[in-house]
Amino acid sequence: MELTSLLEPLAGTSETALALVVMLLPLLSFFVLIFFGKRLPRHGDWLGISMMLLAFAVSVWLFALTWNTAMFHSRINWFSLPAFNGTFAYFTAGILLDNLAVLMLVIVTFISSLVQLFSVGYMHGDEGYSRYFAYLGLFTFSMLGIVLVDNLLLLFMFWELVGFSSYLLIGFWFKRPAAVAANKKAFLVNRVGDIGLLIGLFTLYTYFRTFDLEALRTLINSGNWAGGVFTLSYILNGQPWLVELSSLLLTLAGLGLFMGCVGKSAQFPLQVWLPDAMQGPTPVSSLIHAATMVAAGVYLLARCYAFFTIDALTVIAVVGAITALLGAVAALTQYDIKAVLAFSTTSQLGYMVMGMGTGAHDASLFHLATHAFFKAALFLNAGIIIHAMHRGLHHTHQPENIDPQDIRNMGGLRKVMPLTFYTYLLAAAALVGLPLFSGFLSKDAILAGSWAWAQTMSLNGNSFYYIVPVVGFTVVLLTAYYMGRHMWFMFFGNFRLPFNVEELRLTAKREVEHVMALPVVLLAFLSLGLVFSTNPFSFADSWLMNGISLEVLSADSRLLAESLIGAVHRQDEANHTAHIVFGVVSALLGVLGIGFAISKYRNKTREALSQEKPQSTFAKLSYNHYYLDQFYNRALVQPTLLAGRVLYRNDKWVIDSLLNNGSKALVVFSKVIKYFDTLIVDGTVWLVGALSRLFGYVGLYPQNGKIQSYFVYSLFGFILIILYIIVF
Amino acid sequence: MNFILSSLICTPLLAALVVLLMPGYLQKPIKAVALLGTLVQMGLSLLLYVSFDGNAYADGRSGYQYVEKLNWIGLSLGSLGQFQIEYFVGVDGISVSMVLLTGIVGVIGVISSWTIQKQVKGYFLLYLLLLTSVMGCFLALDLFLFYLFFEFMLLPMYFLIGIWGGPKREYAAIKFFIYTLVGSLFILIVMIGLYTSVIDPQATARQLGLVGNGVPVPVAVILEVQQMLQDNTIATTDLVRTFSIPAMMDSANFIPDSLLHIMSDVTLWDKPIRFVAFLLLFAGFAIKVPVVPVHTWLPDAHVEAPTPISVLLAAVLLKVGGYGLVRIVYPVFPDAAAYFSVFVGGLGVLSIIYAALCALAMNDLKKLIAYSSVSHMGFVLLGLASLTTEGVNGAIYMMFSHGIISAMLFLVVGVIYDRAHNRMIVNFRGLASAMPAYTAFVVIAFFASLGLPGFSGFISELLVLLGGFRAPEATGLLPRWLTIVAVIGLLLAAAYYLWALQRMFFGKYWIFPELREQAVISDLNLREYLMLVPLAILALLFGIFPSLLLNKIGVAVTGFSELVLQNGQEQLNIVLSSIL
Repeated sequence: MELTSLLEPLAGTSETALALVVMLLPLLSFFVLIFFGKRLPRHGDWLGISMMLLAFAVSVWLFALTWNTAMFHSRINWFSLPAFNGTFAYFTAGILLDNLAVLMLVIVTFISSLVQLFSVGYMHGDEGYSRYFAYLGLFTFSMLGIVLVDNLLLLFMFWELVGFSSYLLIGFWFKRPAAVAANKKAFLVNRVGDIGLLIGLFTLYTYFRTFDLEALRTLINSGNWAGGVFTLSYILNGQPWLVELSSLLLTLAGLGLFMGCVGKSAQFPLQVWLPDAMQGPTPVSSLIHAATMVAAGVYLLARCYAFFTIDALTVIAVVGAITALLGAVAALTQYDIKAVLAFSTTSQLGYMVMGMGTGAHDASLFHLATHAFFKAALFLNAGIIIHAMHRGLHHTHQPENIDPQDIRNMGGLRKVMPLTFYTYLLAAAALVGLPLFSGFLSKDAILAGSWAWAQTMSLNGNSFYYIVPVVGFTVVLLTAYYMGRHMWFMFFGNFRLPFNVEELRLTAKREVEHVMALPVVLLAFLSLGLVFSTNPFSFADSWLMNGISLEVLSADSRLLAESLIGAVHRQDEANHTAHIVFGVVSALLGVLGIGFAISKYRNKTREALSQEKPQSTFAKLSYNHYYLDQFYNRALVQPTLLAGRVLYRNDKWVIDSLLNNGSKALVVFSKVIKYFDTLIVDGTVWLVGALSRLFGYVGLYPQNGKIQSYFVYSLFGFILIILYIIVF
Repeated sequence: MNFILSSLICTPLLAALVVLLMPGYLQKPIKAVALLGTLVQMGLSLLLYVSFDGNAYADGRSGYQYVEKLNWIGLSLGSLGQFQIEYFVGVDGISVSMVLLTGIVGVIGVISSWTIQKQVKGYFLLYLLLLTSVMGCFLALDLFLFYLFFEFMLLPMYFLIGIWGGPKREYAAIKFFIYTLVGSLFILIVMIGLYTSVIDPQATARQLGLVGNGVPVPVAVILEVQQMLQDNTIATTDLVRTFSIPAMMDSANFIPDSLLHIMSDVTLWDKPIRFVAFLLLFAGFAIKVPVVPVHTWLPDAHVEAPTPISVLLAAVLLKVGGYGLVRIVYPVFPDAAAYFSVFVGGLGVLSIIYAALCALAMNDLKKLIAYSSVSHMGFVLLGLASLTTEGVNGAIYMMFSHGIISAMLFLVVGVIYDRAHNRMIVNFRGLASAMPAYTAFVVIAFFASLGLPGFSGFISELLVLLGGFRAPEATGLLPRWLTIVAVIGLLLAAAYYLWALQRMFFGKYWIFPELREQAVISDLNLREYLMLVPLAILALLFGIFPSLLLNKIGVAVTGFSELVLQNGQEQLNIVLSSIL
């Protein structure tokens, strides 16, 4: 198969150009606001919001043009490297619009617009007001980049930019030590995942010579499995290449890609950053750490679905199930309003990942969409409550150390904040997965898919695979319990702080500003099942889920795990009647969980609730997130820092001291040479001089100028000569 | 355009001459002359960069543009043949990027030197001399000429650190001097060995009367001379020995039975003499790069050097080491390069990890950045050792990009040092509140350096790692785990930068009490903007449009790696079989 032609530039269409505009509008607002924001009227919030609304409007237009009708792809040659033998290595850049991309486009711009609107109220009066909107613009730009690009290299670039903007936003209140510790942690933990992602990309590039997603899919399509080896051949630059890849290598590459998802989507064992990320402003938590950025990992899995082998998918399913369980269990005992939602987010992301791993590709993406709306609603509501608590504490001059985010300090808010309560209730019902709400549809689809997967996988007699769907059902129960508890603490019973609960209201007539109420109401409405499916009891009828199924997204290409996914889908269809059972069971589990929570807390006194602490070992473990932070600190961070200090000492005390001692030895040696010079060499010369002087003196002495002496000498001489003649 | 390369070398020299003739109390005019000189040099380097043809084939051995070649020293040594040293300069894609970098950083350095108070005349004189010799290094194609410039760099550098430096400047200067001098000695030894072994086929053809003077030597004649040489049919009196680097890259130019001929059976420590020569030459340049474990001069030199000299040292002088590896060591000894690729790549990865870990342990911001330089230079070695197009392009890209980004990094350190006369991380907290614009540039510089996409650092790291990862498939040179270990360097880089940001710039504003009296904490001034803004723009520009650089360097780099790889594998077999 000819690879070169697959990488050729594709002419731009008006649709892709529009998509580019959508992407660049938030970037424009970033630049304008960062440089001139403070000088603009109202610090430029209107600019950010209008740009975002415009982007949203264009996105909807693009959605209408693309959804279920067409696919648009434009591509340019970003840069190319001359390679050996006169060939080239191409690095392309392009925009791909398909059902998934436009869906994400609409979701991201919609929630982004709402969150910006909400922030007008929430961030009012903050000294970094324009900077905040600028950062949101940068984030939206990066997120749209992930959604729109057509190749993995660019995706990785926007992926990192998303991480960067998340870093900026978590640490937005940079004077708070906790916030800057959290943003550092988030970035670093994400980088751990990115290392895996990068290695996965390198592997794909090494064997397939391109990052382009469509080209990669086409290549995979042209290959064949034979005896555990994946073989394919292609022609690049006129040269034929034959690639034979072992199943293990492909699995490892897939797991590399998955590591990116583990980092960004807060999967076990890298989920530790997400709870800390709640240090950012609450609207940011809503947009980035609940609805969009953390879902990017799932989006990545969907985009790379063809590159995962069966083994890789199994790992993905198991990791997802573990995360879903761990997140839900940790959420059981939290008291911080945002911590509950954060752990719930990891748990729900675990569901999505589990869905991906079990072949429920479409269900997982569907859950991504529904979760984005109801979780954004929950977080924005939490923001309203935190705002109200701040207001109350401030107005009544309470001590500084009362935590406005602690649900133990709340209670009875239902009466003074009815709007918040009802919208929260709708979104929470969707999260729990009660019938008629969106979460019911998407969660059910995942559970059904995972059951079919377990059935298929255990055909070889190994029934351990059923653990995954069982965990899935268990998490439904846990979710219902923690949300019930959460709601009970906040909205029911009596207010637990020593001031009038009416103080929480904005004015006697209004509980919250209009700009903050509108987004919440819209999002709560989108938590209803009817929005997504004409039959709110059956996900099979969902227009959204049918639009993002594998058949629609990659109709003519095969996956590496084709054999498994096909079998799972057939099994799933065969399970048709069982779906009703799944729905009933999960609904019952939800009701049961809420019932448990209510029965546990209904009879507790106000004091008991406000003083509650995690008591049992299990509760402490859950409350402290299994001491994972402490473990990582001891096992990884401290040893790394120690290694740094040891190596630096090595520089100082080994390498440098070797050099210094070496030069000292050189100095000593030159001193020795110097003594050799002065004593031996110079001494010899001196000795010669001294000897000649000595001889001189000896010769000088007889020459005393007395004629008598000379006469005596010559007489002696004469006698000597005579003696010589006589003797010899 | 005929003498543009000589003009590049001579412009700062001319400015130095003018400075020399000016009386020392004219401080402003001296600075103005220096600025003008460097601006002209930058203009010339830009002109050269723009007019340089990136598509013309070049492989290190041939394809140089704007070549100037003059006979400088020529002697007949009787039975020892003809002695020849040439003024031989030229550019290919590899050097043209370094020339541009030197031009840009030269100007930034002068702007940064504007606040120098002490002995202004001497300072700028030495500064301009330094620029001359660096530029000479990047342009010289005669090994003798190269060595001359290479050695001459030491003199101004020694005084610039030793006179204008910090408290421990004498120690740092002498350490720098001795380290580099030892390296130069290794280079000198190999240079002499090469001189005894290599002839210039063109000059020999003229000497033999095969071609008249002033006529270009046809390729056929060169081949004929090379054949005659290998057949031992040229009288020794007619052999024109040469220092020409391109001549040294062709094994056919080596005199049979000479020391460094590929069939030489001389061994030292059980290794073929060519391998030993490679290692010596490598060591000489490795000190300059610097490579762990011969890197310890760098943190000291940086910490003691004044800001502009740190900028120049990190941005340009270190590149001479990497450039020497690409220009001389690899193509002259491709066999040894192939043989030692794991060693070279391994040292690169060792540098990446080792220096990054050291940077984590630093309390002095400048020392942290110095170690990060060592870490980033490790990528150059890794990319080079892979000999893939991606890897070597990445290595050159890294040298260029690091030049831009490290200049920024040292400038931002200088900013806080100017104000507080201290740069220990623990003495500051929450600087972002007091210096928001400054902190913005610190964030940009740090993130550019840790490889955030959009900045040039990302492209270079990506290409190097991609090349390293692909090497087992493409060139069969490096084991894959080496690159995987190197990727961890990206994580460590993020760790030391973000930790420094957290400790020094974020949190509540606080300065160590003893510093408060002397410290005047104010945000960036115009002069500092003037340096930081262009560098930030360049880092972004080369991060978003990599073809700006790759279109110029790509062909030459690929030609180079192809040549080294091919010759390396062919010659390696001959070298190894010759010593049996």
